[in-house]
Amino acid sequence: MNEALLTLGFAMVTASILALSAVAFTLQYAVTNVANVSHGEILTAGAYAAYLVHQRTGSAIAAAIAAALAGGLAALAMHSVVIGPFIRFGASPTIVFIATLGMSFVIQNVLVIFFGASNVAYSLDPGPPQHLGPFLLTPLDVEIIASAIAITFVLYLIISRTKFGKALRAVSQNRELARVTGINATRVAAATFFLAGLIAGYAGFVLAESVGSFNPYFGFGFFLITLTAAVAGGLGRAFGTMVGAVMVGIILEFAGGYVSASYNLAFAFAILAIVILVRPRGLFTSARRTVFE
Amino acid sequence: MSAYFISILTEGAIFGIMALGLNVIWGWSGDFDLAYYGYVAVGAYMTLLLTIGPPTAPAHYILGLQLPYPLAVVIAVITAMAVGLVVGLIALRHLRGIYFSIVTLGAVYVIYVVAGQYVPLVDGYNGLSGLFDPMGDWFGLDYQSYQYFLMGLCLVMFALVFILMWRISGSRFGMALRTLREDERAAAAFGRDIYRLKLKGYVLGAALAGFAGALFAAYLSAFNPSAWSPVGEVIALYAAVLVGGRGNIRGVVLGVLIMGLLVQESTRFLSMLPGVGQFNTQHPQILLALRGALIGLVLVLFLRFRPQGLLPERRFVDRQPVGEAAPAST
Repeated sequence: MNEALLTLGFAMVTASILALSAVAFTLQYAVTNVANVSHGEILTAGAYAAYLVHQRTGSAIAAAIAAALAGGLAALAMHSVVIGPFIRFGASPTIVFIATLGMSFVIQNVLVIFFGASNVAYSLDPGPPQHLGPFLLTPLDVEIIASAIAITFVLYLIISRTKFGKALRAVSQNRELARVTGINATRVAAATFFLAGLIAGYAGFVLAESVGSFNPYFGFGFFLITLTAAVAGGLGRAFGTMVGAVMVGIILEFAGGYVSASYNLAFAFAILAIVILVRPRGLFTSARRTVFE
Repeated sequence: MSAYFISILTEGAIFGIMALGLNVIWGWSGDFDLAYYGYVAVGAYMTLLLTIGPPTAPAHYILGLQLPYPLAVVIAVITAMAVGLVVGLIALRHLRGIYFSIVTLGAVYVIYVVAGQYVPLVDGYNGLSGLFDPMGDWFGLDYQSYQYFLMGLCLVMFALVFILMWRISGSRFGMALRTLREDERAAAAFGRDIYRLKLKGYVLGAALAGFAGALFAAYLSAFNPSAWSPVGEVIALYAAVLVGGRGNIRGVVLGVLIMGLLVQESTRFLSMLPGVGQFNTQHPQILLALRGALIGLVLVLFLRFRPQGLLPERRFVDRQPVGEAAPAST
């Protein structure tokens, strides 16, 4: 029982990072209705930016900001260079899926050219593990969980309380109708990608911290798990996605703890296949699709 | 003929068989299947398992039956078909579009992870090796002439596969697959069993993948997880099919030629640039990365600017459309 609680503690860390990554992915899906397969590379960009800035400045906060900004800019570039033009050109969601997969491959290889394919060791001092209730967590773990909760809360406020959030929800429900009412859908989508990129870039930084190293392929591996969480929660639905992320995080951590962590991807996809076959629209679907409900 | 030229032609023929198989699934049936290279891997692993000897410690793997190569190829193809059938049964039942792609992506990762991590099956990360010059001693070939023999074998097999695909392309089955790609509901309304047809196309594609994998195993004489990646290889295949012309088998062959030449020659040219060549000897992965970036870029640019490819599939036009055939009412 005690061991299970310990695992649950670690699972909360995984789930927090997964929730950030998955909510960023689902926001992009919400405003464009296409899956951005190069989402993982936003996390990779965040990890590299954080590493480079951390080496120069020695400040973890500067590194976190750099990661978020790099992620935001990467996502914005993906939207304005690839996804936006493809959507305007009238490409089907599958075509955009293939194109973003191609982009992800390009970005990974360009990163290999600049930084090499080997692992970069990068970790902050996690501090001594402490007992928090039944859990055993380091101060770094606590910071990761707290920051994920804070970011989610701010995101909730942005989407539910601001004018931009209203426009975002309108575009996600019906792009054409939103356009008719005077919303610049392309601009809202671009801004949403930037916002999602900020979150995903930060997630890349925290993920690199918690894993302790990264390489050009690191984001793609995590994207596969992100996809499981996002599909389980329902593509394009932020709240469902977060619940999906927590569930997938917990399942993976327990499976990894009791079986073997090397099978994590296979487990993630087993969950994914079951969810898609049984509830293709996500586990928590209602008739109406909204970003937050 | 230089060794370089022989290896290009052998690889090209094997790659061509893979591309023709992928064309059945993506070009005709219209499904973006990411598990495809998994079937190539199953074919290659299975061929090795059946032809090499039993494992000696510390290696672990199943079988090791030392069967003759042609028999091993047949069993390898059947195994790839069986794996394809299982994935197809799950993925093609209700899923289309990106959901199909996501599930097949999952399937190939499961194959990759199991092959790489579950050691007793195919010796995990070490993989299998030891298939030297299959059928070579039947004809008493030395190392040099064996290279020609294998090249000839691969080219002949490629030609046979091409002729088979040519026949299928114009057959009722080939036409029916294309109908599904264009409009599934209309095909269903005309009494087509969509699931069954798609499944047949999918298993045919997996068979060609397994066959290419079996030839690849003879060419490489070894296979292990670092010889393939679940997604990287399949992107190159998709790029070839797309560049040549999705659905048109002549186009697919053209695509394989173009991508082969583009990838080989451009990276060779790049390595001759001052600075880069020297850089390459220090960082051998740079050239591979340049190659990958180039393939991805070609894929994205073609999708955007010429999705029908260089040799587009011939569209069947109704010479007497229903609306016009009716007498004009004025």
